[in-house]
Amino acid sequence: MKKNKTMIIAFLTPAVILFLGIFLYPIIRTVIMSFFTIEGVTDPMSKWTFSGIDNYVKLFNTSLFRTSFYNLFRIWLIGGLIVMTLSLLFAAILTSGIRFKKFFRAVIYMPNIVSAVALATMWLQYVYSPRFGLLKNFFEALHLDELAKIQWLDNDHKFMALLIAYCFGMVGYHMLIWTSGIERISPEFYEAATIDGANKVQQFRYMTLPLLKGVFKTNLTMWTVSSVGFFVWSQLFSTVTADTQTITPYVYMYMQIFGGGNTVTERNSGLGAAIGVVLSVCVVLVFTVCNKVLKDDDLEF
Amino acid sequence: MAKEKEPRKPFNLKKEIKLLPGYIILILWVIFTIALLGWVFGASFSTTAEIFQGKALKFESGLHFENYAKAWNGAGVAGFFANSLLYSIVSCVILILVCAPAAYVLSRFDFIANKFIQTSFVSAMGVPAIMVVLPLFSFISGMGILNILPAARTTLIILYVGINVPYTTIFLLTFFSNISKTYEEAAAIDGCPPMRTFWKIMFPMAQSGIVTVTIFNFINIWNEYFLSLIFANSDKLKPVAPGLYGMINSMKYTGDWAGMFAAVIIVFLPTFILYIFLSEKIIGGVTGGIKG
Repeated sequence: MKKNKTMIIAFLTPAVILFLGIFLYPIIRTVIMSFFTIEGVTDPMSKWTFSGIDNYVKLFNTSLFRTSFYNLFRIWLIGGLIVMTLSLLFAAILTSGIRFKKFFRAVIYMPNIVSAVALATMWLQYVYSPRFGLLKNFFEALHLDELAKIQWLDNDHKFMALLIAYCFGMVGYHMLIWTSGIERISPEFYEAATIDGANKVQQFRYMTLPLLKGVFKTNLTMWTVSSVGFFVWSQLFSTVTADTQTITPYVYMYMQIFGGGNTVTERNSGLGAAIGVVLSVCVVLVFTVCNKVLKDDDLEF
Repeated sequence: MAKEKEPRKPFNLKKEIKLLPGYIILILWVIFTIALLGWVFGASFSTTAEIFQGKALKFESGLHFENYAKAWNGAGVAGFFANSLLYSIVSCVILILVCAPAAYVLSRFDFIANKFIQTSFVSAMGVPAIMVVLPLFSFISGMGILNILPAARTTLIILYVGINVPYTTIFLLTFFSNISKTYEEAAAIDGCPPMRTFWKIMFPMAQSGIVTVTIFNFINIWNEYFLSLIFANSDKLKPVAPGLYGMINSMKYTGDWAGMFAAVIIVFLPTFILYIFLSEKIIGGVTGGIKG
């Protein structure tokens, strides 16, 4: 037993120290920072001035931050609907017994392993290009001139363009989570249902969907965690520094703390910390509501 | 379900026709993906003038490999590429050396903090990076080491390692719990001390899990953007993702579209090639990590 004790300590220490240094300590400090006014990020604690919930009040009174938060909400909700529907559809098709399943699955998941900067550049500079773009050529070939003339990257369409490009990349990941859930359902259930005369669509609606509640929870949590950190796509799609169509809380924070120029209204790292806390609360909220609403303990399989 | 399908079923027209809508949807998606990548790949061998005339894939003036040479040497992709390679490989090795022992201990021994550490690690995977970045930046720039090249590189590697510790540990933990305890018991009877048993017996047995998690770590670190943008603030330090972003911004002024597509392909290729060879392993690991 004594030997085990030394081993436990020796084996755990490096991982735990890294965890304390890179997660626990910074998280606690960020929470504390969010209640102080701090002029420079590097200021020592002695220079901080306590300001209560001022930072939070200020944030939600800043129209650019409200816009960024609203954009994030749109991405989460609309993007979530698109991604969840498409990924579930693909998962259902993949598990329906089609051929070349592995090939299809591999191609659809592929965008997830590619650098987001590279992928976003492909969309921006090729698909949406007003001069030699894929969409322009495609609609021209079909003689849909009205559609071909759409300027995908102007202010009216930019958000939609951003959202479509982002969802294209995300579908594959969520499809894999759905697929693994569907494949865990025992085939005997389906055999029994087929004998009882249920067709494929009925089986999907009345058996697969209810059994996938737990998997839906995983999917929603993952989607929330990844959309909260929405940054690269937004930064690449914005043409001006504070682009109201594409700005998200991360970009706003980055601009305020690390960016220069005339967009910085006030030097206060406490605001940046408060953004982090607000976003974390959102993640926890979604997670809790999700667990309350979707109790899957009544369905064991 | 999956096991039953292993033997190729004979072609059944009636069944395939029923599945036709499914095929059409997937094939359209695949065609789009291939068109997207194929065109960009083609354009990277073309010239900016031809791209703008809509003749990118006709190659009337031949293949322009010099786009790659220009991006690699002129625009500094070589430096970013070397940085990324260094950061990813070193971080991946350290991650395994740090996380494999921790995961093993957590999967094997009952002690007071065990459950607590596991829960903390799982929760950490859901923490937005924005929650840790300000204090870390303040601490690191307070030490004034971001201008000293070797120190700054070390700092970046520590950051990449630290950020990925919870995921790597939890992934390997599931893997170790699935290995039978009889191996250690046999080793103990033969008088092998537990730490030796781990490195000589358990570590090699977990090889396939270690390989999978390393592929994921490599891809994650190669593509990492947010932290790199904040902490790697000079061109000498930058890995590919923020490097490419900077290049794209400057290409807007120089107007070298062909060169830009070449740079995109250079950044895109390493993880893509890895994926071509290992897609089954990667796809199998995606859902393995989540269900921890």
